[in-house]
Formats: sequence, structure tokens, C-alpha cells
Amino acid sequence: MKKKKYLYLLGDIVGIAAAFFIFIVPFIFMFMNSIKGRREANLLSIGFPDQALFENYLEVFKSNNYVVLTAFKNSFIITSCAVLLLIITCSMAGYILARRRDKMVGSLNFIILSGLMVPPAIMPTIWLMQGLHIYKTLFGMVMIEAALQIPFTIMLYRGFIATIPVEMEEAGYIDGCTKIKLFTTIIFPLLKPVTATVVILNAVTIFNDFTNPLYFLPGAKNATVQLTLYNFMGQYSSSYNLLFADVIIITVPMLILFIILNKKIVDGMVAGAVKG
Amino acid sequence: MDNKKMYSGWFLVPALTIFTLFFIVPMVVSLFFSMTVWNFTDFKFVGLDNFKMFFTEKSLNISIKNTLIYAVLTCGLKVVLGILIAVFLTSAIKTKNILRSIVFFPNLVSTIAVGITFSALMHPSKGLFNKVLENIGVPAIDWLGNIQIALFSVVGTDVWKGVGVATVIYIAGIQSIDKTFYEAASIDGANSWKQFLNITLPLCRPAMNSVIILAFIGGMRTFDLIWAMTGGGPGFATDVVASIVYKQYAAGFYGLSTAGNVVMFILIAVFAFPLQRYLLSKEVN
Amino acid sequence: MKLNKLLASVLVIILAAGGAVGCSSKSDAADPSAETSSAAEAAPAASNEEAADKKTEPKETTLSLLIDGDVSRAGFDAVAALAKEKLGITVEVEIRPGGADGDNVVKTRLASGDMADLCAYNSGSLLAALNPSEYFIDISKEDWASRLDDTFVSAVAINGATYGIPMASAQAGAILYSKSMYKELGLTVPKTWDEFIANCDAIKAAGKTAILGTFADSWTAQVLYLGDHYNVAAKDPNFAKDFEAGKTKYASSEAGLNSWKRLAATSAYYNKDSLATTYDDGCDIMANGEAGHWAMLTQSLSNIYELYGDKVNDIGVFGIPGDDPNNQGLTVWMPTAIYGNKNSDKTEDILRFMEFYISDEALNAYAGAVLPDGPYCVKGYELPDTAYDAVKNDMQAYFDAGKTVTALEFQTPVKGPNCPAISQECAAGLTSAEEAAAAYDADCLKQAVQLGLDWK
Repeated sequence: MKKKKYLYLLGDIVGIAAAFFIFIVPFIFMFMNSIKGRREANLLSIGFPDQALFENYLEVFKSNNYVVLTAFKNSFIITSCAVLLLIITCSMAGYILARRRDKMVGSLNFIILSGLMVPPAIMPTIWLMQGLHIYKTLFGMVMIEAALQIPFTIMLYRGFIATIPVEMEEAGYIDGCTKIKLFTTIIFPLLKPVTATVVILNAVTIFNDFTNPLYFLPGAKNATVQLTLYNFMGQYSSSYNLLFADVIIITVPMLILFIILNKKIVDGMVAGAVKG
Repeated sequence: MDNKKMYSGWFLVPALTIFTLFFIVPMVVSLFFSMTVWNFTDFKFVGLDNFKMFFTEKSLNISIKNTLIYAVLTCGLKVVLGILIAVFLTSAIKTKNILRSIVFFPNLVSTIAVGITFSALMHPSKGLFNKVLENIGVPAIDWLGNIQIALFSVVGTDVWKGVGVATVIYIAGIQSIDKTFYEAASIDGANSWKQFLNITLPLCRPAMNSVIILAFIGGMRTFDLIWAMTGGGPGFATDVVASIVYKQYAAGFYGLSTAGNVVMFILIAVFAFPLQRYLLSKEVN
Repeated sequence: MKLNKLLASVLVIILAAGGAVGCSSKSDAADPSAETSSAAEAAPAASNEEAADKKTEPKETTLSLLIDGDVSRAGFDAVAALAKEKLGITVEVEIRPGGADGDNVVKTRLASGDMADLCAYNSGSLLAALNPSEYFIDISKEDWASRLDDTFVSAVAINGATYGIPMASAQAGAILYSKSMYKELGLTVPKTWDEFIANCDAIKAAGKTAILGTFADSWTAQVLYLGDHYNVAAKDPNFAKDFEAGKTKYASSEAGLNSWKRLAATSAYYNKDSLATTYDDGCDIMANGEAGHWAMLTQSLSNIYELYGDKVNDIGVFGIPGDDPNNQGLTVWMPTAIYGNKNSDKTEDILRFMEFYISDEALNAYAGAVLPDGPYCVKGYELPDTAYDAVKNDMQAYFDAGKTVTALEFQTPVKGPNCPAISQECAAGLTSAEEAAAAYDADCLKQAVQLGLDWK
């Protein structure tokens, strides 16, 4: 028994050391360079700076008329609306797809899997959004982000719901519950764990999306956080220090979200992806 | 119990509306535009010429090969490393909670930021990786500049970023295994390796299938990390099908790139559907 | 069987599309429409605020400008500040990515009717690819347009209409060399390609970088090939015309293939980490005299000056040498131009700003902030005395002798989009000159098809 205890202790030590070198060192590298001067950062070393310049962070916020703040506002709106929309629509859809067994469900499953595979067609999408007068609007962007995540989100919900026993619903149905009430009062409250998973995975994907806002949401007022990286990447203004400071600034919100939801993510996965 | 009556099809409508309008409709429209020379304002119908031209693309052979290498390698590494890490992090070690968070952490950073950081770390003369190699007496490696190595450097970065999600899915799978199996096996005197082989591995098959499908399709599609790290270069050495489509799109060849998109879909479908069918059939047995 | 299944699934998709759209209006628009109203409210609220700002000072106006983040804006900013003071026009800069991503953004936004009031973009072939008559204001009828240099006008005029004004000075694609290294090794400026290679051998033998490669920014790889156009045109004056007509190819013409052969010949002389070295690194390296040559656009001189001041005068320039020692010339790039959005409702203000931008007053302000990388494209405006030696002495001599030609991209809209990658491969020694030339011809074919040219 004692031998096993030592073995686990060894595991702890090796695990922490490996995690440090593989996963933490790159972040230390980013941080160190984010507080250096432009020329020193250009040397790309991981060492401590000659002088810690925390004002780099302030400069990132100030650059280009505080575009980073606008970008944060836009990204928050897009991410929260799209995630909310995904939770509502996909939990409903996943519920039906998990419960019903007929031909329609089969073909819908096929469509969902194709949705995972097909890259979005950019020009036709813009063409369509213009027709609907929602091109270049936050609303349009929310819809695009939601549409792209729907297949994956439905998969998660469908898998999770399949593990919930049907007896409760059947009892409710016989008692005369309406279908909507059945879903909102009996099923939805049980979906908390998978919803946590849905929130974190979708929020990260949407918040970190770079290409789609570039095409579907142009304009300085519409900047999103990932696009602010361009402010520090040009040939003439390429400054690694500000670039890494910006990277850290725009990673923090997702880190906070992750810390809040961390414990629930695995629970949601248990059925969500595992039984899917 | 009337299954259809209890589970109303109307519940599907909101999700399907958004998905159809903003995804399926553009996709169907793109089938038409793939047969035109298109500059957004005007188009000229050219039949299958775009497809012919797409297949004569000089770098297409390299890119199909690269796409498959990329998908198979990232997928394989995530499947294998993910389960090893997951088993380790579901054992009785004390630090498992913090380690789980750390492994997941890279997933929170955007692809483009990861690309920038690793390009810097892989810089041939100034980068940290080569500084370390130098110190232990190994000759420097041109991570992104050597055409034999560049693709694998990007694959490594992709795995670094994505192994966390695979691990979480596996952890979920392992946790849902009934503990009594292990207790019974211990009493029978099976060692840890045997338990892993005979209990963990077969029982987290569904989790593994999820990881395989998601990682494989993701690998076939991705190009943003490649774009951020090598831009498809040196030359065309790390081009994948998606980056060729993107480059043609960026050049304003909308018809041609739309045709490329269609080809890419078919290419992915040809591999992904049979793969999924195969995995599901295994699962049932 | 498979095909049937595929067809069936496509049908399912289309039916699902039709069905879902049909139902949605009645039943379940609830949550999406809730989103609409909030987003729609937010947007007008923001624009109202701005409108209010504008009303307080009626004369003031704001023009938006979409510009590549890679373009140096110091000179432009100086003129814009003056314009605010004199014209009451504030220019709001919106940055877009450079390179292929940037082309993409510009094309997408033009096509979708969402261009800023002013658009800073390349002149020459890239402009032609934008279909400018549809999107940009024709300035050929304005009085002040006659101030523009004729060569420049040819790069921004299509079918008799003129669209842009020069944002900066003209520049050349040439070889930058380290004067101190030349002095140290006792080298002289080469007049022919063979002399150039001999110099490179001497520098390499001294254990230094003979030619600097900055291929991490792949566009820099094509400068040597593009800058060789003076030599192509010297050998075959009709090359550009025949190339556009599809009558001559790089792989099959001696003049054209020579350019690629020169590029391939340099592969032995680059720094070892050339594929990871960026343009930015390159400016540092040249300023510190750590490399002998750099095939580069002379805009880099301004960059070096911004970072290192007078060290820039340690750098000299010569045109990419050909075979004839008596005919060494310079391939010239016309500057980025500023175009006015035809579909903007501020046409008057746009034209006022454009006129002001090329006035002597504005050019003085410009030159006060950044020194030119070559002659200005405005008639009668002389280079200031403070200009870099490389521009004032080395480059001006070519202009005075009339030994300049504009780069191919200003003479024909046919430019293959993969030119940087093909050049990168060739310069890195991964492909031969013949392979690269053939690959580039195939690449250009795609552009010809898109332009509707009839290549056989």
C-alpha cells in the first residue's frame, strides 16, 4: 500500500513538471515579452525584461482610439447572444432528435453530420445577408456564428438527453402536461451539466473566431477582439510586446469563464459526447 | 405511447430555420456559382471548367496529401495522447484537478494567437526551442522553414492546442464506467495494465469514437493554424486543400474557389461517412 | 447507388430548407426576432450619437479611410492633420490586413457596397482587377488632376478614366547594398549580373550573408523577379503586351525565363534562416550592415530611417543588373493610391481632400514627416535636399538618364496570385527556374480566365 502512495506522489511530480514545461512555458513566454520594450521583445527570448513595462497593456487599450474596448463590447454581445440562442434552439432540437425514432430523424442526423464537415461558403452567405439587410450587423453575425455551431451543439444535447430516462416525461404527458411545459419544467432543468459544456466550448469558439467576423462584420465600429491583433502585426508596426499584451488581454475573459464552469464541463461531456 | 405526438416536430423549427437559412441555403447557392466565373456583380456560366481548372492546380496533389497527413496525424495523436492523459488524470493523484485545467488551458487561446506564439518559439535562430536544443548539444532544427518538417511542426502545435478537449471527453467516458468492474477485476488479480486493456479501453469506446470523428473532420477542414504559422509555405509545402481554396478566394476567383469548396466537401465526405459508419458498427458489437 | 443516395440527401436538404422557411414565419420567430430588435436598436443609437457630434460644428466632416495596416502612415498622418486644420475634414482610419487577406477584404467590401469613403490600395494591375469604374470616382475631369505625373496616371487610369492620387512617393524594386561592407571588401557597384554574382561570392567567402532573404513575409521573395522587368523589357520591348495577349510565356521566352534563372541563381547566397526572417528583421539587419545585398522595394529606406535615423545613408541602391553593362536600369513601382468611393454621399468632401492632398502645401507637410523613397508623382514638385543619399544620388541618376520602366504589374492586369509562393520556392532552391516559370504561367492563366482574356 505504501508503495502505491509513493507511486502516486511520483505521478504528481512528473505530471506537474510535464504540464509546466509543455503547457505553461509558452504562456510565460507570452507574458514576459508582453512587458518588454519593442526591440527587446523582438529578440524573442523568454528571459525577464530589463525593465518591466506594464504600461504596454495601457498602450494596447489606448491604441487606435480605444478600439480594443469597442471590440470587447462587440465580442461580448455576439458571444452571449449566439450562445443563448444555441442553448435554446439546440436543447429543443436535441430533445426531439434524441427521443423520436423515424425517417426524418435519420435524415436530419445526416444533415447535422454534413454541417460539421462543410466549410461555410463565404460569398454566397454575404449575398444572402445583403438580401436580408443584415450584412454588417451584429444580429447577422450572431446568426452566422449560431448557424455554424448548431450541428455540434445539437450533437451534445442529443447525446445527453438520450441518457435521461423517459419515464418522467411519460408520466407528465399522461397527467396532461403540455409539450412545452414538459420540456421546460421536466427536461430543461436536467440539462445543466451539458449546458455548461455547451457554454464553454461555444463561447470559446465564437469569442476566438477570427475569419468569420473579418468577412461578415467589416468596419472599424464593428471590430471584434481577434481582429485587434492586426493593429500590432503590420510590417511597419509589428511589435511583439504589444501583440502579446493584446493576446493576453483577449484571453482573460475566456479564462474567467472557464474557471467558473470548470467543474461542470466533464459532467456535461459524460453523456453529451460520450454517448453521442 | 405515440412517439410522434409526444415529441412535436415544431421543436426542431428554430434550430433548423437558422441552420438552413445561414448555412444550407448559401451552400446550395454555392453549387450553382461553382459553375461560373463570378466577380460578385457579374457571372458567366462555364459548366465544369472550374472543376477542371481546380484539378490542374499545381499544388493540389501536395495539398491532398498534406490534408490527409494532417488529419490522420492530429487525429491519431489526440486519440492516443488524450486517453493516456485522461487515464493519468482519473487516477488517484492529488493534483488531478489543477492538471485537468492546465491541459485544457491552450484551448482557450485563439488559433491565431497560438500560431503567432509558436512561430516565435520555432524561430530558427532566436526561438526558444532551438535555444534549448543548442544547450543540450542537439543541432538546431528549422521547424517551419524546412519543407520536410514544417507540416509536422504545425501538427504538433495543433495537438498541443487541441488535446485538452479530447482529454475532457475521455475523462467523461472513463468516469461513466461503473466502478464495480474495476473492483471485480482487482479481486481477480488483474494488474493496472490489464484493467486498462480489458475495461477502460473497450468501455470508453463511444468517447473514443467522438474524439476520432471530431478530430478527423476538424483536421480535414482546418487551415487557420497553418495559415497563421506558414501561410502554406515554404512555397507550397504545407498547403492543404482548404488553404488553396482560401487563396483562390482571396485572389478574387470566386467561382473557382467555390468549386474548390465543393471538391473539399466531397473529399471529406468520402472519408468521414464510411469512418463514422465503421466506428458505429464496432460500437454496437 | 451511391449517387442516388447523394441525390436523395440533396433533395432532403432542399426540402428541409423550403419547409423550414415556410413554417418559420408563423411559429417560431420569437427568439430570433427578440435579438433583432435589440441589435437594431443598438445600431441606430450609436449612429445618432455621431450625427449629434457632427451637427455642433456644421463645417466639419469626417471621411473614413480603409488602409492596409502595413503601409507607413507617418506622412499621411501629417497631411491629414493639416487637412483637419485647413479643410475641417477629419480622416478616420480603419485598418485592414495586408497581402492576400487584404485584397480579399477590399474586394468583398466593394462588392457588398460597404467601402469606406476613401480607399488606399495598389495602383496598376491590382486596381484593374477591382473593376474600378463601378466603385471609384473618376477624377480625370478635375482641374487639379493635370498636376499628376503621366506615368502615375497610366497606372491609375483605365479606359480613359483616372481614379487615384498618389499616397506616397514612387519607389523602385532594386538591390539595396551595404556601403560599408562594399568598402571593407573593396567591392564596386556591379554593372552586370555576372559582376553582381562575383560580389556575392566575395561576401560569402568573407563569411557574411551575401543576399538577405526575408521570406517569412513571402511577398518579399518576388521583388528580385519583378524588379528584373527592366531587363526583360530591354530584351523584348513588347513582352508586357504579348504576355497579356497570351502570345508569350515566361517559360518559353528567353527574356522572361532569364528573370527566373536569376532568381534561382541567388539561392546559394541567402542567410540560413531566410524562411523565418521577416521584412521587419530585414530592416534591422540592413541598418546594422549585417548583410551585403537585399532585393527590396525602396520603401524600406523610410522604415530603416524611422528606426535607425542616419544609418540609412550607409545603404546604396542599384538596379537589378542585366547582361549589358551599358544598359542598367531601374524597375519602378508607382505608389499606393487613394481612391474615392463613388457610392459615398460625401463626394464633394472626398474631392476636396484629394485636391488638397497633392497640393504643394500638403506635399511639404508630407516631406516634413517622411522622406521620399523616390520621386513624387506630382509635376513640378522637386525632391527635398534632405532626401536619403540612396534616393537623391543613386536612384535619381536612373531617372535623369531615362533608364526606368514601370513594373509589369502596372502594364498588364495579369499577375498570378501565387507569385510570392512560387518565387519563394525558386529562391529557396526547391524548384528550378524552368519549373517556377511554368508554374507562374499556369498561375497567370487563372487570372486571365477571371479577366475574361482569351488565352489558348
